[in-house]
Amino acid sequence: MSIRTETPTRPRIGSDAAPILSFDNVCKRYGSLDALAGVTFQVNRGEVVCLIGPSGSGKSTLLRCANALESIDSGRVLMDGRDVHDRRTDARNLRRRMGMVFQNFELFPHLTVLRNVAVGPTTVLRMPAAGAAARAMELLRKVGLGDKAAQYPAALSGGQQQRVAIARALAMQPDVMLFDEPTSALDPETIGEVLSVMKRLADEGMTMVVVTHEMDFAKRVGNWIVVFDHGKVVEQGPPRQVFEEPTIQRTRDFLSHLGWHGESLAASDLLVPAPSGSYEHRTSD
Amino acid sequence: MDIDVSPLILNWQFILTGLGFTISLSLLSIILGAAIGIFGGVARTYGGPLLDTIVGVYVDLVRSIPVLAILVWTYFAFPLVIGESLTPFTGGVLALGVHLGAYITETIRAGLTSVRPGQMRAALALGMSRTQAIRTIILPQAVIRMLPPLGSLIVIAVKDSAIASVIAVPELLRQSQVLAGKTFRPFEIYTSAMLIYFLICYPTARMIDRIYRNLAPLGAS
Repeated sequence: MSIRTETPTRPRIGSDAAPILSFDNVCKRYGSLDALAGVTFQVNRGEVVCLIGPSGSGKSTLLRCANALESIDSGRVLMDGRDVHDRRTDARNLRRRMGMVFQNFELFPHLTVLRNVAVGPTTVLRMPAAGAAARAMELLRKVGLGDKAAQYPAALSGGQQQRVAIARALAMQPDVMLFDEPTSALDPETIGEVLSVMKRLADEGMTMVVVTHEMDFAKRVGNWIVVFDHGKVVEQGPPRQVFEEPTIQRTRDFLSHLGWHGESLAASDLLVPAPSGSYEHRTSD
Repeated sequence: MDIDVSPLILNWQFILTGLGFTISLSLLSIILGAAIGIFGGVARTYGGPLLDTIVGVYVDLVRSIPVLAILVWTYFAFPLVIGESLTPFTGGVLALGVHLGAYITETIRAGLTSVRPGQMRAALALGMSRTQAIRTIILPQAVIRMLPPLGSLIVIAVKDSAIASVIAVPELLRQSQVLAGKTFRPFEIYTSAMLIYFLICYPTARMIDRIYRNLAPLGAS
């Protein structure tokens, strides 16, 4: 079975229009540690950009710099042409256009599942409670958790909590979704449900930046892969190039360290259903 | 020793007045203490180094001075500062509230710092301001987590209201003293006073415990 002959990666889209999110030589230091040492890449509207690389390589830090949860030392982050870290920029206004999903879910434990999703619209957008609840309910159904609305987060499994967290971010109707290792804290059996919600979101055209160790997801759903190491982008390109013909030794080392060999794709079908007909071994679908 | 409860029965309204003052003095000083404590706790945690220092000085001062001294100072010395005399009741509420506020400040601060930073990040990422995040996300969790120590402080506040008898607030202990002096029945009267304090404080403590047990899972992020 040769993977190389038929790779279902999405093409990079919208590259002619201005990028919705762009990182230009972003640097950030923690003491003597260069967390980010000149990171440059772009996210176009409708794209799924996956950030991969070893732990501690700066991927999560970069995500937090994207919505100004962390400051940067130099460089620029532009969201829709506006400098995120400029003092004159209203960070709150930009943040509500960027939904964020965290590794540890960070649901609000004292609020019901429904209120967790509605609290953004009611407090930030000053939406009336009834309207916010209706929107929240709709989103909970969308992530398959309509029946959990009255529960508290503690009563949910990790995968369910993360799906609520996705609904919570979507309730603000963001232009971009930022995912910070959304499946890293999950039991293996619940990873799939979260990834399939994310894939559906991607299929609907949501712009997504995903920090992940799920290489199958990155390869199938991503339009563009950015490989991090020691705070730098060591390689970026379409999934086909990065996963199958990595030009950089560091990328090859990282991928082989994760046990990534083209043939391992078959096992991963359990996680994300491939678009039908995308893979030769799935053409029977 | 013969026991004669008739002074209690004959003077029940006098004692009831005292009980009324004990309850209103306690409630108002708890409300004042809670207001100071929430403001102080939030200011120390999120208000920057200057506010932290200022509130810190207040907390250290109050915790190093006997509540009786604070009470006497508030009633007898503070009016000279403001050029306005205080009623015993107002002086009592102020002194007890300011005293309690220092302890609630530290309890709220401990609760706020125990909520993990990811909760603040999640709230900010939704577009909330820091104030909105503290009010709707962090503070409720902090209060739930800190209910057991806050419950102790509330019970202590009720008991400390008896100290206001020294500035002649007609609360339960003060009324008991007056009555005991008039009737020469200190045993019956002071024993009843103790019993009444117990009947207020014990159920209060149990009730707060129970509320905590029901809410505890909601404060665990």
